[in-house]
Parts: sequence; structure tokens; C-alpha cells
Amino acid sequence: MAPPILGAVSVAVLFAMLFLRVPVWAALVIVGFGGNWALTGWDSAFALLGTTPFDTASIYTLSVVPLFILTGGIAAVSGLSTDLFRAAQVLLSGLRGGLSIATICASACFGAVCGSSIATAATMSRIALGEMRRAGYADSIATGSIAAGGSLGILFPPSIILVIYAAIAEQSVPKLFAAGLLPGVMLTLLYIGVAVVMAHLRPLEQPVAPSASFGERLRALRGPWQFLALFSVSIGGIYAGVFSPTEAASVAVAGAIVLGVLSRRLSRAGFTGAVGQAIRTSCALFAIIIGANVFSSFMVQTQLPTLLADTAKALALPGVAVMALVIVAYIVMGCFLEGIGMILITVPVFLPLVKSFGYDPIWFAIIVVIVVEVGLIHPPVGMNLFVIQAHAPDVKIGAIYRGILPFLLAPLALIIVLLLFPQLALFLPRVIYG
Amino acid sequence: MSPEPGPLPLWARLLVRVQTMLAVLAATVIVVFTVADVVLRYGFDHPITGAYDVVQAMLVVLVFHGIAPVFDSRANITIDLIDHLLGRRGQAALVRVSDVLQIAALGLLFWAMLAPALQAYDYDDRMLELGLKLWVVWAAALSGVAGSALVAFARLRRSSWDGL
Repeated sequence: MAPPILGAVSVAVLFAMLFLRVPVWAALVIVGFGGNWALTGWDSAFALLGTTPFDTASIYTLSVVPLFILTGGIAAVSGLSTDLFRAAQVLLSGLRGGLSIATICASACFGAVCGSSIATAATMSRIALGEMRRAGYADSIATGSIAAGGSLGILFPPSIILVIYAAIAEQSVPKLFAAGLLPGVMLTLLYIGVAVVMAHLRPLEQPVAPSASFGERLRALRGPWQFLALFSVSIGGIYAGVFSPTEAASVAVAGAIVLGVLSRRLSRAGFTGAVGQAIRTSCALFAIIIGANVFSSFMVQTQLPTLLADTAKALALPGVAVMALVIVAYIVMGCFLEGIGMILITVPVFLPLVKSFGYDPIWFAIIVVIVVEVGLIHPPVGMNLFVIQAHAPDVKIGAIYRGILPFLLAPLALIIVLLLFPQLALFLPRVIYG
Repeated sequence: MSPEPGPLPLWARLLVRVQTMLAVLAATVIVVFTVADVVLRYGFDHPITGAYDVVQAMLVVLVFHGIAPVFDSRANITIDLIDHLLGRRGQAALVRVSDVLQIAALGLLFWAMLAPALQAYDYDDRMLELGLKLWVVWAAALSGVAGSALVAFARLRRSSWDGL
């Protein structure tokens, strides 16, 4: 069997295994190893399988994955996310749709210390959903704004997905973090725009809360100082060139613990729970990264990515058309696949194709992350939607689907903007890192 | 939703606890060493030699031992799209098949990792800055994989077909 055909068949087998509930890491290892065996023989495939797990687990850059997940966990149990929401709630009081906007803003900020969309959505569900329902917000708009806001967690630094992309695409983590910042801000503004429009189109679904006084607003600004300190020191330290990402992540963990202890809001049980959860989440991710590395080494040898690029060029497709096809493929896959798994499976195939058309891999990372965001909130299987329903089982899934649909326009608009103006993602990395 | 598994036997629970403790210890060492390195570098112009190696070695310990509780709680990431099409018995059957495949994959990984681990021992490979013998780190990785395979096996044995 010709290598590209073997590659295509293996991808089909991989998807079949995934749909049959085989854990992503195991499916990647089995298909990747089997494919390498068929292509290069037992000895070579076996040698590769022996070294890949160790090599992957000792990648220094990836040490930020457990550390930032732990920071997010400690921040959540220490009440940092509550501080953010309360501050935004008071500052935006008196505005129709103020709670939706507060949820989106607090989610964006919390995502900036957490780096995980699901963790952000889970945290904000716990804090904001009850408040919005008590204030008379419709379930659809309440859950829609939480799901949309939660998805911002993977675009803002320290995005765990960007770190993993950096490892498999051999890109700089600080550059990727810088690239995510402006699109992250823009997406936040777009989500706010959707919330405002929805508030005016359906005013009864988003009642106006009593306006806070100037003094109350001023006091509210002091609430999230711990978050600001944590973000400024850790992520600011990366941008300023003071810390490597691993150092920033370690400082963030230590800072979150110190702040939690000093404010007496970090309990022993909360800390233990956050550590255990961080270990489980990050190791489940590492298992997939190991599997993806086995699989991607096979993909490279099949020359399937090269064949895809050659085919696209033979068809004389313009770069924009190729990108549009790649984005559509991601959106379709996002309806079925988990985000990080999807990135690890597809980037080795799509990145060479995208690069061959002259697109920047840093820019592509941001496009991929936004498309994964769409997958996180896209019915029928957007993970954030299920996270919200798990926290509020009495909310009908139909209401959640209705609520998220208008917000889906925002990331799609951002993708179009990025296609037209790649500088939105590339400007900051070039200014900061040359 | 996955069928609820029964409790693990004592030896497996102890194994999970020990492996989790090792992973937590590794994470602690990473944080403490890195923060200390930053403080000493910027505060006293005296960085810790080998901090980079420590992070790499501890990350290996964290990953290969921290995976055991993932197998214990069946928290590996899966695509559960067809769950609603299957009854509980159907789901339980697929979960069992997945368990078997995972144990096989872990066994294969362990077997494949033995050769490079032995090479690291034979050639006395060392980490660049610390001079730490690499076979020690390989041994930590291998014991983590073996422990995780045992936990996954114990989890499979305690599964029931109807998920109760």
C-alpha cells in the first residue's frame, strides 16, 4: 500500500476507534505504532515507541501545563474568580445586559490566569449562573454568555492549547502568548457586542439591575487586586522577558498559594482538591501528547501532508480557499472531537499544508485556537455547554443551544478579520520579540 | 456517562496513592526549585545550577506517576458521542474493550521503553548540568508506566457488565 493511502486509511481507523470510545491517547499510540510498523518495520517502529514517551515527558516547555492548570485551580478555590465577577457586576450595574457582560469580562480575566476554557466555564457557571437567574435573566442568555465567556480561556495567555501547539509545531511559547492577546481582546469585545445587541433585541430576557453608586464602583475596583497582581507578575514577566514560561508558571503557582493563604481563603481541602485535579488533568493531556507524537511521526513518513499540499497546488487553489477548507474541516471535526485531541491529530497534517501556502505558523495557531473555541460552544457537543448543564441540570439543553447561537457569530467574525488582517495576531509578537 | 466502577482492591488503592504522592512531590520540587532559581538569580545574582535538569527530571516523574490516578478514575479523554445510542451494557462493553486496549498499549510502551532505559544504564548517560544518571529517570518513568498498567488492570477487573 502506498504510504499516503496507508496514512489516509490510518486516519479513518483512528476516527473509528475514537468514535468507539477508545481513549484518545490509546487510539493515537496504537494507530501511530501500527502505521510506523507497516511503513518502516518492527525494529524502527518499536525504537520510536520506546523513546517518544520519555522525550515528550521531558520537554521543558511543557512543564507549564500542570503549573498553569494548578494556578487556575488554586485561584478558583481561593475565590479569585468570585472577586472578578463581583467587581464586573458592580461596575456594569445599571446597564441592560450588565450581568452578561460582567460574566464575559470576568471569564476573560479568569482565563488569563487559568488557560483552560472548561475550567473557566465551570468556575463561572458556579458563580454567575445563579446570580443571573436571580436577577431575572433568561436561562438561554445566561448560559450563552457563560459558555461564550468560558471559551476565552484558551485564547488568552497562558493558554494551555497554545503551549501544546508550541511543542508539536516547534514554535516559541512567548510569541504564541503574545499573538493570542489582541485577538483575545477583540473576541471579548465581539462577545460583549453580541450581549449588548441581544439585550436590546430581547430586553425582557436581561432586566436592568439597580445602579451602584460611584463610591461602590470605586470600591469594587479594589476587589480583584489579587488577580491583577498574579497576572501582572506571571504573564507580564513573560512579556517583559524577565521569566521563561516555566518560571512564570511556577511564580504564579507560588503567588496563588501565598495570596490564598494570606487572605485565609485557601483551605487545606481546597488546596488538596486543586492539586489532585491539576495532576489528573495535566497527565491526561500528557498521555494524549505522547500519543500524538507517535502518531505525527507516522504521519510525516506517510507524506500525506505533502500530498495534500501538492494536490492543493495542482488544483491551483488560492491560499484563502485552502485556509477556508481547513477552517471548515476544523469546525466540522469540532462538532465531534475534543479540542486538544483535535489539534494534536490535525496540526501535523495541516501545518505543512498551511506553511506551503506562505501562512505564518504563529498566525495559524491563533486561527486553530479560535476554531477550537467554536467547537467548545458549538451544538450539539460543545464541551462548555455540557459543563454548564452539569452545574445546572434543571436548565434545558435546548435553552443552552438557543443561548449560544448568537455568540457563535463572534468567533466566526474574528476568523474573517484574521484572514483579512493577519497582523492582528502577528503585530505583538513582532513588536515584542522582533 | 461511564458505568460506575466498583472500588479497587487495597493494593491498587495504595499504588494509586503512592504514585499520586510521587507526582505531587515532583510538582512541588518543580515549583520550589524554579521559584528559588528566580529569586536567587534576580536577588543575589546566583542562579541554581541544574534547575533546568531538575524540572525535566521531575516532569518525567510527574507525568508517568500522575497518570495512575487518571486510570483509576477512568479520566482519560474519550469521545462519548455514541453513549446515548447504547444501553448501559453496551457502554460497559465498550469501556471494557477500551480498558483492554489501554492495558495493551501501556504494556507495549513499557516493553519498548526498556531498551533505551537499559542503553542509558549501559552507556552511563547523564543529564547535562546536574550530571544525574539518566537511567534513574528512566527507572522512574518505567515504574510509573508499570504502576499505571496495574491500576488499569485492577480497574478492569472491578468493572461490571451492567455498570452497577
